[in-house]
Parts: sequence; C-alpha cells; structure tokens
Amino acid sequence: MRAIVGSARRANIATALLLLVVLPPLTSHAMPKLVEQHNWLLLDRGIAAAVAAMSLNLLLGYAGQISLGHAGLLGVGAFTAGNLITRMHLPMLLATAVAIVVSAAIALVIGVPALRLRGLYLAIATVLFALAMQYSVFPSHAVSSGSAGVAVPRLLWGHSYLTDNAVFASICFVLFIGAWVIDDNIVRTRVGRAFRVIKENEAVAQSFGVDVVRYKLMAFVVSGAMAGLAGAMYGQTIGHVDSATFDLMSWSLPLVIMVIVGGMGHRLAVVIAAFFFMILPDALGSLHAISPIIGSALLMMTIARHPEGMADLLTIRRRPAAVSDDDDASVPALPDLPLPPASLRSGVVPQPRGNNALLEVENVTVRFGGLTAVDHASLEVPAGQIVGLIGPNGAGKSTLFNAVSGLVRTESGIVRFRGEPIQDLRSDQRARLGIARSFQQVGLAMDLSVRDNLLLAQHQLASYGDTAAVLMLPGVAERESELRQRADVAIEALGFADAADKPVKFMSGGQQRIVEIACLLLTAPDLVMLDEPSAGMAPGVAENLAARLRELRDALGRTVLLIEHNVPLVMDTCDYVYVLDAGRIIASGTPAEITADQRVVEAYFGAAPDAPPPVARRTRKTVGAPS
Amino acid sequence: MTGGVTDLLQARGLTAGFGAQTVLHGVDLDVAAGEVTGIFGLNGAGKSVLLKVIAGVVPTRSGSITLDGTEIAKLGAERRVALGMAHVPQGRQMFRSLTVEQNLRVGAHVLRRRDRSAYAEELERVFALFPLLAERRRQMAGTLSGGQQAMLAVGRALISRPRIVLIDEPSAGLAPAVVEELLESLLRIREQGLTMLLVEQNIRFGLRLADSACLLQRGRIVYSGSTADLDSEQLASYLGVGRLLRGDLDVGLDRRRGVKKEPTGRAGARS
Amino acid sequence: MQTIVLGLIAGVIYALIAVGITLVYKCSRVLNFAQAEIGTLALYWTWWLSGDHHLPWAVGALASIVFAVAVGLLFERFFIRPIATAPRVTLAVATIGLLALLASVEAALFIGSIKQLPNPINAGGFTVAGVVVGPSQMLALVVVAAVALALGAFLRFTDFGLGVLASADDPVAAQLMGVSRAKVSAFTWGVAGALSAIAALLNEPTVGALAPGVFAGLFIGGLTAALVGGLSSLPGAFAGGILVGLIEAEIKAHLVFASMPDLQYVAMLLMVLLVLLVRPQGVLGRAAA
Repeated sequence: MRAIVGSARRANIATALLLLVVLPPLTSHAMPKLVEQHNWLLLDRGIAAAVAAMSLNLLLGYAGQISLGHAGLLGVGAFTAGNLITRMHLPMLLATAVAIVVSAAIALVIGVPALRLRGLYLAIATVLFALAMQYSVFPSHAVSSGSAGVAVPRLLWGHSYLTDNAVFASICFVLFIGAWVIDDNIVRTRVGRAFRVIKENEAVAQSFGVDVVRYKLMAFVVSGAMAGLAGAMYGQTIGHVDSATFDLMSWSLPLVIMVIVGGMGHRLAVVIAAFFFMILPDALGSLHAISPIIGSALLMMTIARHPEGMADLLTIRRRPAAVSDDDDASVPALPDLPLPPASLRSGVVPQPRGNNALLEVENVTVRFGGLTAVDHASLEVPAGQIVGLIGPNGAGKSTLFNAVSGLVRTESGIVRFRGEPIQDLRSDQRARLGIARSFQQVGLAMDLSVRDNLLLAQHQLASYGDTAAVLMLPGVAERESELRQRADVAIEALGFADAADKPVKFMSGGQQRIVEIACLLLTAPDLVMLDEPSAGMAPGVAENLAARLRELRDALGRTVLLIEHNVPLVMDTCDYVYVLDAGRIIASGTPAEITADQRVVEAYFGAAPDAPPPVARRTRKTVGAPS
Repeated sequence: MTGGVTDLLQARGLTAGFGAQTVLHGVDLDVAAGEVTGIFGLNGAGKSVLLKVIAGVVPTRSGSITLDGTEIAKLGAERRVALGMAHVPQGRQMFRSLTVEQNLRVGAHVLRRRDRSAYAEELERVFALFPLLAERRRQMAGTLSGGQQAMLAVGRALISRPRIVLIDEPSAGLAPAVVEELLESLLRIREQGLTMLLVEQNIRFGLRLADSACLLQRGRIVYSGSTADLDSEQLASYLGVGRLLRGDLDVGLDRRRGVKKEPTGRAGARS
Repeated sequence: MQTIVLGLIAGVIYALIAVGITLVYKCSRVLNFAQAEIGTLALYWTWWLSGDHHLPWAVGALASIVFAVAVGLLFERFFIRPIATAPRVTLAVATIGLLALLASVEAALFIGSIKQLPNPINAGGFTVAGVVVGPSQMLALVVVAAVALALGAFLRFTDFGLGVLASADDPVAAQLMGVSRAKVSAFTWGVAGALSAIAALLNEPTVGALAPGVFAGLFIGGLTAALVGGLSSLPGAFAGGILVGLIEAEIKAHLVFASMPDLQYVAMLLMVLLVLLVRPQGVLGRAAA
C-alpha cells in the first residue's frame, strides 16, 4: 500500500511477527518444560494490559482526554464476553467481537458529555462512571451473580475449550497486532492530527475546520473498542471476573501510570511499560504489595522531571541542526508569506448566486447578558474584494467576526454566505464552506510544530474519509504526501526551515502570527477573515502581508475581510471600508471617503496631529489636545 | 554609548533561549536614568525575550544585569519588582475579576509592603493622571475597553513608585485615537523623568517616545544610540520598511529630531 | 427532615473538599484528584495519637492537619512548581500520581484492619422538631462556617489575599506586580491540605471507622461538588457541595435495591452529566462573555 521502498522492511517485519505468533504454541508443544504454563499466563495478562494501555494512550496521549474510567470499560468488555460465553455459549472470538462493539457503544455514551466540555470536566465524569459500574452495575443481577461475578471460559466452539495458555498467547498477539496497526494508521493521518490539536486547544481545532465533536467521539469509540478487547482478553486469561476485578486502584490508576511512565503518545514505550508493570508484582515476589507504590512514585517522578517518559530513552535523539550562531551581520531575509498551492491557483473565481456579494451580514445583533456588543449591523463583502472593518476598541469588531465565523450566537439577523443563510451552522461547518479566519490572540496549536500546524491547516483538503484513514485504504498515503510537500514549500518560503519541527510556542509572538497567517493563505479559502493580522508584526512583514493580500484578491479572486488598526495598511489594501462604533456601523465607503468623514475622524482616528491616514498626512506643527 | 553613572540599568553579555535554541547572543544594553530607551527589530529578533530576561520571567543563561548597581540577573521577577522595576506587560494582562482599584492595589503590592501610607498618595496621583480610572474604580477590570485597560496597565505600573518601567508593545491592538491618547500620557510621564524601556512595533509610536534606540537583529545589538542620530535609510532597511510605512517612520524620526535635547543637560534637568 | 440534616452535614464537608480543589485549580490550574486522599491518609495520625495513645482528640486532629499541610506543601514544591507551566492535563495527571501514591501507601500499611477513632466532642447536640442534630454534626457545621468565612475574608481584605486572587486571574502578571508566585502556589496547596484534613476529621464520625477505601465518598462527593460548582468560584463550590450532599442523602434513604446496590454513584454520574450539559459553568457560574 505504501511506497515500494518500504516493502523489504515490511517483509522483514511480517516474518518477525509470524515467528512471534507461531513460536509460543510450538515451544509449548515441543518443549513444555521450557516455559511454564504460569509464565504463559503472565504473558497473556501482559498482552491484555498492553492493549488496555494502548487504549488509554489513544485517548490521553493523542487526544488529551483524561479517563479514570477505563476500569469500567475493561469491565464492560469482560462481563459482556463472560455473559455471552456462559449464558449463550458463543465461541470466545465471537464473544470478544461483541464485547468490542458493546464497549465502544458505552464509550460513546460517556463520550457524549465531551461534546460540550473541555478536558478536565470529563475526567471527573469518567471517575463516576467507573464507580457506578463497579459498585452498581457489575454486582447487579443483570450481569453477574452478585459479588460472585461471572466466569469467562475460553470456549473455542461447541464444547471444546482452550486450556493451553501458550496457544491463547498467540491468539492474543494476533489481536494485539490488529490494534497496533489501527493505532498506527490513526497517528499517520489527519485523524491523528485532529486528535493532537484537540488535545492542545479545541477552539484552535475548530478554526482549522476540525469537527471537534466528531473526533472526540471517535477517540472515545476507538479507545472504548480497544478497552473492550483488552477486557475480554483479560477475562479469558484469568477465567473469572467479579466487581472487584476492575476497580480504580487495580486498573484505572495503573493504566495512567503505564501511559505516563511509558510516555504519552509513544505507543511502543507505553506497551513496554504495560508489560513491565504487569510483571512487576510477580517479579517482586513477597514484596508485591509495594508494586503500586513504586508505580505511582515513578509516575510522579516522570511528570515532574521527565515529561516525555521512558520514550525519551527509546528514541535516538535527533539533535536539531545547530542553529548557526555566527550569522553575519547582514539584514536577514524577510519571511515571504506562502502562495496558495498551484492546484488552487487555477480555481475558478467563486460565483455567488443572485448578487455579487460573497458575504452578507443583515441586521445582526449579538448580546452578552445586558451588553449589546453588535447592534443591528449590516455589511456586504463583494466577491473578489478586500473589505476593511475598522473602529475603536470595544466597538464589536471581533464579536462581529465571531458571529460570522460561528463562535458566538447571533440574537437576531441573518448571515449569508454565497446567498445561503449560515447563522445556524457550527463554526467548523462554516470553515468547510470556505470561511477561514485568524484571531487576535494567535490561533495555532502551540505544542505542535510549524509543519504540523501547516498540515492541520489543510485538514479539509485531506480528501479521504476517516474510516479509510484508520484502515489505511489505498490513496490515503498518496494524499498525505502531497499535503506534506505543500507544507514544506511554505516553510521554505517563510524562512523557517530551521524551526520547522520545533513547537510553535518557542517562536516569538510575531513569528507565530506569521505562521498563523501562512496557514490561512495556504488553503486560500474563499473568504479570508483577518483579525488584526499585523499586530506584533515587524513593519517589513506587514508590508509583505499587504502585498500577499492584494495578490490573493487579484490573482486568485479571493475575498478578504480585514480588521486592522494599521491605518496605512488598511488604506493601501482595502477596496471598501466599514466603520463600526459601539456595535453599529456608523460609516462606510472607499478609504478616501472614510478619511474625510468627520464622524469617523472623531470616533476612530482622533483629532491628533499624526494620526490621520496617509493621504492627508503631513508633518504638522500643531500639538493636538486629546480628548 | 557610555552612560557612566547615569545608567540606571545595565546589561552585559546577556544570553538566553529556549531548549537548544539561543535567542539572545551576548546583548549589552544601557538604559540611562530619566530616558526612554526603545528596542526595535524584526519578528524573532529577540526584543520581547530581552525584555522578559530583564524582567526575570525568562532565565538568563549568562551575563549580568545591574539595576542601579545591584546585580539582579539571578533574582526572581518579584524580587526585581521589589527593587523598583515595574511592568506594562504585553497584552496588558488585567486581573479581570478584580475591580480597577483592586488592580491598582495589587500593582502597589511592593509599595504597600514598604510604606503603607504612601499608597493613598500614589493612588491619587494615578487618578489625577487618568481621571477615567477614578470614575470607574469599582468596575471589574475585565469589562473595561481596550483603551481603558491600557490606561489601567500604565497606572498599575506607576503606582509602585518604580525606578524603571518595562513596557511591551503598549499600542498593539489599539485604535489610532487611543494610541495617540496613550502616547500623550506616556510623553507626559516621560517629562516627569521616569526611566522607561520600551518594545514597540508601531514605528511612529516607538520613535516619538524613545530618546535612545537599540536595534536588535537575530539576538544581537546592531545599533545603540540616540534616536535623533538614527539614519532613516538604515533604519528602514533593518526593519524592512517599504513604501507603505515609510511615512510613519519619517514622522517618528522628524518628531524626535524636533524635540532633541542637549545630551549633557538631560539627566540633571529631569531629576 | 432527618435526611436533609444528614445531607446538609455531608454537603458542607464535601464543600470543604470542593473549595480546596477550586482554590488550587483557579490559582495554579491544577485539578487535584488527591484532595480528599491527603486528608484521609492524614487521619491515621489522629487514630495513632488519640485512638492508640489516648491523647486528647484535638492533639491528634492538629497532627493530622499539620501532616496534610506538609503533604500539600511538599507535593507543590517538588512536583508542581517544576512543571508550573505544563498543560492542565499533565498537571492533573501529576495529582493522579499523588492519589495513587497515597492510596497505595494507605493500602500497604493498613489493609485489612479497621481503626476506631475517639469522638471529637461528647457534650451538646439537640433535637428540634424531631430532628436529631448530634454533637459531631454541630461541630461540623460550626467549623465549616468559620473556615469559609475566615478564608473569604483573608482573600478579599489582605494584600497577600488579593495577590492570590490576582494570580488566579493571571499568574505572570501578578508576578510582574511583585506577588511571589511561589508563595501563592505554596499558600493554596497548604490551605488545600488543611481543608482536606479538616474535611476528613469531620467526616469520620459519620463513617464511624477508618480503613482503606471507606472514604471513597469524600473523594467522589468532593470532586462532584467542585464540578457542579463550576471549578471557578468558591461560593459555587460551596453550593455544589451542599447540593451533592442533599441529593446523595435522599437517594441513600429512598432508592435502595438489592439487585443493584449503591445507586448514589449512578445518580452522581447522572447529575454531573446533567450539569455538564445544561450549565457547564456550574450552578452559580456566569456564562462567559
């Protein structure tokens, strides 16, 4: 499926995996004394724990959602499998499959509050879920015989049971590989990037057009499915489960320990940590009671001293290419904001229906409590023009932007995009229609690299389904490499090649702003909304921005709505300007008309000597008296 | 630039950075008492980092910083505040859920510890400078407009009777009329002889306020000296200023030259 | 009525835990999962001094509070301060580590043995309109009210208290005003430790014994209360505590089934989901502008 280059390596990996699958039963049969059944059992438990840890890693390590409810999800898997096998005589593999589906469904239900909430609130809900499961549901007569629990026999078919722990290890290992491959596919595609940006900042995720609800639920469902698999495996390993099997102390907390000590988001390290902590109590012998103390102490040490976890020891540290400390004193090249990709340059100029306006705001009012932030504002942004929105601080400009991009609800009024009302759509839906915006506070995923941010910006251009991505269907990989190429070209043009893989948070505020604008320009959406893009930009970069905006309009026929206090920039680029004051549009016109409007001068430019716009600017000697 | 005894703040050989990246490579900086020193440069040149290193928010890797002769490079930010440093942080950073007056009281944290009776006096001075803050003293700071927040941020810094104020991009995000008003306030404060260290991207604002300039490029100082002596062509090329903002730059420089003072008299005249 | 009194007592105790969680969360962005467990482990000092060695209850209680404050301060100093700027999730996970550590130490030392503590107070108690209010319950109400008022007054009227509130709004800006971040952080964790121990001390007479796991209600009730209060305001946390206490008491009294035990956890889960869906800002919270 992937490139041919990797095929030899893949063949080797496949051979190694096959050996790992075949060896346990062979060893067990040929040399039964070599490894005792007890140790095979330990291996089975280790594999189940590894899958459980991968499940939490997906949720916590990738998507950043803390779950202390995984004990409950594992229990759902084990109790489902147990009941299906003992009461309905389903074969164990079929029962496992059903357990996976049931756990995924339950995870979906606890994931639903995630729709409305950010991060930590959900963690508390998952604790309650685990306790409700442990104390009320698992001991209930519906799923077990009270505190006696339920048996989970390894029923192969009919009346034949699997007793050899080594053969069972092979089966578990095959299932484990399946989970591993799915996890790997997620990481490599837009699904994994969506998870990571959600982990970092949900508002940013939405502005990139990532459907936060959908991906959070997806993380829960996939994690729940893996937990169900792990639970069913564990149940079959030990043969009998009761409500005490899956409690916070024995599963939820140890899983967090495995993921953190291994290293959040580092699958291999998490799997190794899972085996380690599963085997630790046995290795300690009579001291097994201190095993959880060791685990939690390691967790605390890891978080405070070594946040990357054990994974740090596994990866060969790629030293960043030495930042050239001996730069010559010549003026560094200014960053060049990227051009939209070639494939979009041939794009047809968007043809709005009916009239020529791409965006129409009609009588929109936004209120916060008693405060009217936007008061019956109307404006029209014609396709292929740059329209400015200026006004004093607190006039409601950003709120109007939020109303157009869907971050606040309008109380009344209509927002039309290409003639269609959009005021009832979610912000990510509006983003997918072709509306993109920047924020006053930089809207980037700060922990992700410049490259990842540029890839994320192209989320909607990644034209493959998420299911296809999880299964790595043909075409997904090709599409991915195209996106990467585009990001690389943009990085080169910005002059950020040295810093491409550095987290954005290590860049200066102005550089972050440049990356954010680059993300917007890269996708060339039909409507680009910029909220004070030049704030914090060096003068030279602001000039570069002005040139790019004109190019976006002239060469690509894109439309721009611009909030900006940099008066020369507004006057130079805008075709038309609206002035907002106290939530109302008080004037509109060409830049020249606006600068001549006495109301605007009073409300915005101020009567000070140097403040008026460049057309009228001369160095005057009068000293203004600011009001 | 040898300010000698009049240098209130001196930095020598400052280096700083994040992880493997070095942002400042041995920066020397002199801030003369009673002057406004502006730091200019491109994005990523290290202006804000330099300000944060001096504030003590970003650790110094090597080099020394002295405030009125006292070595402060190893001190925490709050210790430097206690020694007379005050801040108008980037983005103004109000305490949104506290009232205007409570914000000012927190600003006077070190003053009240030193001399509780001085607080009432300072409060009156800030209210005299910004009467609007007096009117809104019981209002939550989070509900102030951007311009009012800028006034509060400046007032909150002044109220501690600082010896030096560090100001990070005060005009960012403000409407032109408010920027002008803020500039007038800061010019008035400058006339009272307060020492300021300023980072500002609005070139007109920065040049009009700063007595001396310090040009940063990739973490190194490439110019330091009086703003009035700056060559406009050179400055334009360092900052990448072209046709669009050239007007702003020239206005700023002209203004500076207009108000240029005799270098010998200024330290004494203000204190 | 008796149920309401029981619920109220449990509620004010949950409120103490919730206030500790909220204070730390607001000032240092850390959601402290170990809040209740700190006090629970500390309670063994009261057992050891006052139960086992027959010293006055107050001596044991004081030892517990000192221990809990020490745990809070040490944890803050060595595990939170070095990562003060880490993402919220990371900080929360660090406290999960503390929870796991304290709980596993408790289990390793005391599993299988049930400790009895002396009564904090013997005199007092009264009956109003058929409702019995015991001496320990009176003590709980009085202590919680006193602690809440003292904490509120300290934060609002002292310079340092205002500095703490300022830090909750913007820690870096507060530091730039000369407010020591380290002191604020240590203060909130110290207070949280003390509140945790006080809550555990007041909770013990209701539970009637001390053993690993028996204080799970404090952990869950406190967390739920903090969440119901919106994790943003101390009065909200207080209201959340009382609400959770009342609902829990009603369920324990009226919804008891043999086939499905301990329904209060299911009820709390439903309550949290409901609050999260309907009023994510908490019962007393204001919608963010």
